[in-house]
Amino acid sequence: MSADNEPLIIGFLCNWCSYAGADMAGTSRQAYPANIRIMRVPCSGRVDPLLIVKCFEEGADAVLVAGCHPGDCHYSEGNYYSRRRFALLRELLDFMGIEKERFRIEWVSASEGKRFAKIVSDFTEDATKLGSRKVS
Amino acid sequence: MGADFTQQIRDKAKELLEKGTVECVIGYETGSDGVSARPAFIHDPAEVDRLVFDNTCSHNLVKYLLNKKGKPTAVVVKGCDSRAVNLLLSEKQIERNQAFIIGVVCPSVVEWGWNKRSEQIQKRCDWCRQHTPVVYDFLVGEPVTEEPPPDFADVAEMEAKTTEERAAFWREQAERCLRCYACRQACPGCYCIDCFVEELDPEWVGIRIAPQENLMWNTIRAFHLGGRCISCNECERVCPVNIPLSLLNRKLEQEVLSLFDYRAGMSDDTIAPLITFRKDDKLGIGE
Amino acid sequence: MTKILGKKELESWLSSIMKDRTLVAPKHVDDLTLFSPVQSVEEIAFNYENTNLSPKELFFPRTDTLFTVERKDSEMEITPAVIEQETVIFGIRPCDAWGIATLDGPYLDDPADSLWAQHRAKTTMIGLACTKPAPQCFCTSMGSAPNDSSNVDILLTEVDEGYAVETVTAKGERLLQGVELKESDVKPSVPSCDTDVPAEGIVEATQKVFDDPYWSRLADRCIHCNICAYVCPTCYCFDVRDRTDRGKIERIRTWESCQSKGFTRIAGGYDPRADKGTRLRQRFCHKLLYFPQQFGPLGCVGCGRCVTACPVNIDIREIISDLQELGAKVGQGSN
Repeated sequence: MSADNEPLIIGFLCNWCSYAGADMAGTSRQAYPANIRIMRVPCSGRVDPLLIVKCFEEGADAVLVAGCHPGDCHYSEGNYYSRRRFALLRELLDFMGIEKERFRIEWVSASEGKRFAKIVSDFTEDATKLGSRKVS
Repeated sequence: MGADFTQQIRDKAKELLEKGTVECVIGYETGSDGVSARPAFIHDPAEVDRLVFDNTCSHNLVKYLLNKKGKPTAVVVKGCDSRAVNLLLSEKQIERNQAFIIGVVCPSVVEWGWNKRSEQIQKRCDWCRQHTPVVYDFLVGEPVTEEPPPDFADVAEMEAKTTEERAAFWREQAERCLRCYACRQACPGCYCIDCFVEELDPEWVGIRIAPQENLMWNTIRAFHLGGRCISCNECERVCPVNIPLSLLNRKLEQEVLSLFDYRAGMSDDTIAPLITFRKDDKLGIGE
Repeated sequence: MTKILGKKELESWLSSIMKDRTLVAPKHVDDLTLFSPVQSVEEIAFNYENTNLSPKELFFPRTDTLFTVERKDSEMEITPAVIEQETVIFGIRPCDAWGIATLDGPYLDDPADSLWAQHRAKTTMIGLACTKPAPQCFCTSMGSAPNDSSNVDILLTEVDEGYAVETVTAKGERLLQGVELKESDVKPSVPSCDTDVPAEGIVEATQKVFDDPYWSRLADRCIHCNICAYVCPTCYCFDVRDRTDRGKIERIRTWESCQSKGFTRIAGGYDPRADKGTRLRQRFCHKLLYFPQQFGPLGCVGCGRCVTACPVNIDIREIISDLQELGAKVGQGSN
């Protein structure tokens, strides 16, 4: 958390769906909080669990991974793998002392600009309530 | 058990070496304290009397097969170890026809340590429901019927703590970790030629032996074994500072069982859950 | 006449040391006994054979910052690490103190390692003689002894009335200033370390066995972790890498071990010790051949930690015995 109690959220957005969805939010003037720092990846399946853990270890308060809806992956299957991977990782992180609520996985399509903005707003609010991690 | 198992193994080893079926038999011998077993590599049939089998035979010898690629080798396996054979077969790391598996119906093993002389059964044996090897070419002992699977009480105890308590617990463990990598070296599932922790570009984990890096190390190693760990618990046994690594692996084992109804190493042609998928997976994500 | 320090006097002495110095002593941590800084005498473990990790950590930490580099205006400012705090180690065994003195060889050899030198200057060692050597101990075979005072500043030996005190160095004398010692005619009993390891002539024997297939066979069971090197009082290999954190660069030094695969991998990918047998041979040749040839003492103090810690029972005592046996055969019946 920054000094003024703002959570730092890292977002991994897949290029084809969720990143485009975030763009759509921008072009349609759907505001969302600037707490999220977005990183564009080709596919949610590319997101290595190492990246998530490293984000938390380096001080992120929350991490979002957003990909295409299952069935709509630009690479056909990437998000099917990521769904399994992150379902398991979320459990392990919780076990290690990083609340499940700090790690969110969402499916956002390129046309869901408004929805993306809502997801980020809600996530930022929840992360603010969670506060900084008690033990870093 | 006891003398009979030892004799059967010796006889089989002698036969395999004399016939030239294998170049080496990997088994156990008594170590320098006169009590605890250690791995033994027998190349000469005249030396088979070095081999023993008793309840100090804790080591998972299957990993040594990876050093013997291309050479026909026999290996003595307990129940848990045999699952490692299946793991390595399913991941194409060993050839079935290069390995002669001497399976032993496991009597459960005791706490292992140099001169430790313990009667305490290792907790992994309390949890185990696979005393009979799942794959073997020769079986020592009679297959046993297993009790119903136990629950993951140790995992539940940790889950019952608050997030803060868990975070503090793991941080304390991370302070002790020396990054000796004995856990990795002992694990049959860890065989990457270049482990992520030693990657320089990108540098995933730094060389600092400090809690932040140590936590990353232990978390990700556990995750890389998600759906692959066969619960031999050698990682925890070898740790020089007694970090309870079994908790991590057991947590993942519990989740893999509940999410994917899967146990690693039960056959040699299954696919680990994280390298496959079902289109209709319902895992509590985005539903 | 023997000088005696009573138990109560020891406790108040240690408490006063804690006020302006870091006092490091053995402490029970779950099932382990580890050298740790202590804030009260109650934390100190008195009932132990030896600690799980050696006290070399207090002079050669597992992870250390050598210097930092930061940009200040347009200049790059290099700030070397400086050890300011005085440390007192209580409860160090003679074998471990021997180990620290042994490492003075490589670390104080010109150019001396600044951090090692600073730690040595700022640390006073209160040794505690062993009353009962452990089954894995073999210090007497390697030149030390359970009551060897040669490398500590003060040696304490348990007696009925408390501790017999031997002041060894001027540093030790300064630390004892103001401490009341009684006189007694009790003579501390000298414990014996009974395990006999044939270390006499091991340097020559090791040299003879260099090319023997013994090393490959022994290495079959080695899993090439770093445990032996990390628990050892005289292993001192390290890795150095720079770490950048928001513009500040730290040069980090950490423990490393010749046993890990890739320890000797060089640019281009070639590794002269890719083979397990060569790596294992390296460890024992370093301790029993190269180190004594270069610095004098053997690179093993007989603490036995590697014996208890090795997951596959690679036992240096067995190896020394084997090398003597094999070395004796070399040159016999062959030419």
